[in-house]
Amino acid sequence: MATSMTRTFGALRNVTYSSLKNAEFPRDVRHPGPLFLPVRTKKRYFIPPAVGLKGKKEENPEIKGRAAGIVFRQQYLERPINIACSAGVFDPYIPPEGDARVSALSKEGLKQRTEQIRQSAASQLAIRKIKEHDSQFSTKTFAEQAQEIFIEAHNALIHFNRERLHSLVTERCYPEMTRGNRYKTIRWKFMESLEAPRVVHARCPDMVTKGNLYGQVTVRMHSKQTLAIYDRFGRLMLGSEEQPKDVLEYLVIERHLINPYSRWRLHGKIVPSWAPPKDPVIMTVAIPGPELKPWEEFDALNYEVPKPAAVQWNNYRA
Amino acid sequence: MAAAAMTGRGVALIRNIAGSLHSRLQILGGASQQLSCLHTSVSLDSKHWEKSNRKVYPPQLPEEPRRPAEVYHSRRQIKYSKDKMWYLAKMIRGMSIDEAIAQLEFNDKKGAKIMKEVLLEAQEMAVKNHNVEYKSNLYVAESFSGKGKYLKRIRYHGRGMFGIMDRVYCHYFVKLVEGVPPKPEQSTSFDQAKEYVQGLRNRTIIHSL
Repeated sequence: MATSMTRTFGALRNVTYSSLKNAEFPRDVRHPGPLFLPVRTKKRYFIPPAVGLKGKKEENPEIKGRAAGIVFRQQYLERPINIACSAGVFDPYIPPEGDARVSALSKEGLKQRTEQIRQSAASQLAIRKIKEHDSQFSTKTFAEQAQEIFIEAHNALIHFNRERLHSLVTERCYPEMTRGNRYKTIRWKFMESLEAPRVVHARCPDMVTKGNLYGQVTVRMHSKQTLAIYDRFGRLMLGSEEQPKDVLEYLVIERHLINPYSRWRLHGKIVPSWAPPKDPVIMTVAIPGPELKPWEEFDALNYEVPKPAAVQWNNYRA
Repeated sequence: MAAAAMTGRGVALIRNIAGSLHSRLQILGGASQQLSCLHTSVSLDSKHWEKSNRKVYPPQLPEEPRRPAEVYHSRRQIKYSKDKMWYLAKMIRGMSIDEAIAQLEFNDKKGAKIMKEVLLEAQEMAVKNHNVEYKSNLYVAESFSGKGKYLKRIRYHGRGMFGIMDRVYCHYFVKLVEGVPPKPEQSTSFDQAKEYVQGLRNRTIIHSL
């Protein structure tokens, strides 16, 4: 608005001052402008030069720029990626059979405990390596810390706090935890811990380059939890809110040891091969039947539903 | 300067309102009465019907009756007339999904084939994504057609006259709800007569002595 006003009157002012050069003129007297001043024919639009030239192909603007004297920095077509977590669980811990079934006071239980106290040499080496990089690490305090990380991560998952969840859980674990949760409501409560959490396994693999160390520590947890998952319409899909369940879990916690600002984050879970089957979903699901040739008939009476193989799961990706 | 500042604040206000509205859409439940006074405009390119599938209800208490699942599905820019599509949409309103698919399969109209595909897609979506237990336990609650974006062409008449020809397109919308299809109320002629007489008897003269 303001610029256009000056433009209209600027032309007038130039003309008036030029006509009255020698005579003194008071500032407040307005002299009428000349008759043929082109004001209404003034161009007030802007057409970029490219509109009129359709067929003309311009030369490289880069060459023009260089000729004009503009110097461009060398453009790198690469982008640095920071890998803050490893791709999986290295050398996973194989939990002994009947871990939480046998009472600790019986003969077998005592044997198991003595075996577990003398951890394998590789774990001891790994713990020593971790202590080199993180001086405050100790197996006694770390187990409780791991349990706290677990509880906070799951609370962040329920209230779905993305930033907090990313700081408590590694990038590899995050999609596993959050897949399919978008239109569901999850209610989870940590009741109590039945046994004190314990560090059972540790490894220090290095990725890509030799010195790039990641510390992975497996923690065994036996606790009581309630889980209830509701679908989009608020109907219960899995579990129940009142009935708590005893849960024995092997959590893998990881940290990028080289990075001084890294934190211990939940990396994954180990599901042993002897784990009892999970509770069924509150829904009837159709299991695909066997592949039949055109002349065959389906024998419903003698058909056995194939059971999944009893394998240890270190990651949920099929 | 002042004008620029005012518009800036206004834009921020509008953005805040839009943000709060969006968050409110998530939690509907019993709060629909509060939102009925708000008029949110629907622009040309907003796909409102598809967004209805993102509504998440809060968990139900165990005493409450089980809420039936609702699945919204649509197909846009079908090369067919909306008026011709309306006849088929009206036909399957209120039918169970199996019945609707059967009727459309043996219907000779062009729109019937497309509608059948849409219904099958919606059924699959319901079972896979929306936790519907039995794929036959669905019925068509709402089904209607709408006008799509037409292409305009010239139709040449005699004597140098022309008309603008529309290449018609339509949208088709369907909402499937879990459960048994509701039976339409059928009243006998005697009942209707009784209601008519009762209506006549209920008449009064207002402001009378």
